[in-house]
Amino acid sequence: MNDPVSGLVLAVVIVGLALSTFATRTSFLLAGARLRLRHRVEVALRYAPVCTLAAIIVPDILLHGPHGTLDLSPLNPRLIGALATGLWLCWSRHIFGCLAVGMAAYSLARVCL
Amino acid sequence: MGVDAEHRRLVSEKDERRVAFRLGQRAIIPSLFGAGAWGMVSGVAMVKGGLTVPWAIMMSLLVYAGSAQLAALPLIAAGAPLWVIVTTGFITNLRFVIYSAALRPYFADLPARARARLGFFMTDFTFALFMRSALEGKLPGKHRDAWFSGVCANNWLTWQISALTGIVAASYVPTDWGLEFTGTLALVALVGPSLVTRPALSGALVAAIVALLTHALPFRLGLFCGAIAGIVTATLADAWQSAAPPGAEPA
Repeated sequence: MNDPVSGLVLAVVIVGLALSTFATRTSFLLAGARLRLRHRVEVALRYAPVCTLAAIIVPDILLHGPHGTLDLSPLNPRLIGALATGLWLCWSRHIFGCLAVGMAAYSLARVCL
Repeated sequence: MGVDAEHRRLVSEKDERRVAFRLGQRAIIPSLFGAGAWGMVSGVAMVKGGLTVPWAIMMSLLVYAGSAQLAALPLIAAGAPLWVIVTTGFITNLRFVIYSAALRPYFADLPARARARLGFFMTDFTFALFMRSALEGKLPGKHRDAWFSGVCANNWLTWQISALTGIVAASYVPTDWGLEFTGTLALVALVGPSLVTRPALSGALVAAIVALLTHALPFRLGLFCGAIAGIVTATLADAWQSAAPPGAEPA
């Protein structure tokens, strides 16, 4: 695992990843002004952040281990941390407070449970 | 006289842009703990995945996409074929296409180079913060690009410094503290307030369930499937809600 990976392959991989990141991030921003999106599409894009982030966040909380085993147990430390953040969010919009409370709950759950 | 007025206008415009940039820099500060933790974890993972320090720094600077890097690293270490590595990175990045489309209307008037620059620095965190601020009416009326540049500048600096720290100090950074979970929690805090409408809630729910069901798909396709399924659901729910008679829950 810890052998240095060969230079040329790595250079190609890095350039490939960099290009794919740049291409996806700038895709519609560059296609920009000429494009006129339908109203329906604009409505859809309003929900892009919440849906995409849900698809990132929830598996990260509920799936564990190399094979992604589903952990729905209420003792799942990540679930406890996320719920703590969510509850804190209900009465304070300060992100830092949410992070602190969530990490504290998560760490506590990991140590105690 | 005319020249003087023009000069004054330019100076005040520059000042306004500087103020917008600073406001953006300030707006991202609370989420920077998430970006920092995530950057450090990426840095450590690159070195532990077998990259030497100069290569790891190069990857961090050129790619600047933690999730794609983390997806690619085990494949690199396992000696997977090139196209598999790059395809995995690309599909992990596909969500940025959606982000890019969502940001487009806000920056359509800018020159192409400025749009390319904003795109390069756009990440999950900066995008989520921008859209949340737009939703809550907290974007400045003018110079949104300067505001977003400020957001991105601080996010980039924090991420790169933490990644560098992780790369250099890989053997001293504890990997079993679950530091990377701070990044996830920052996203929870950014996205949580948008869950108040029914379309958003149903979309998020479907996105999460589909992402869970499809997580075993190759090339990390599950994330993208979940996102698309969620967006379709939310859009349908939105259309259904707007078609409902007045007196129903307002959109």
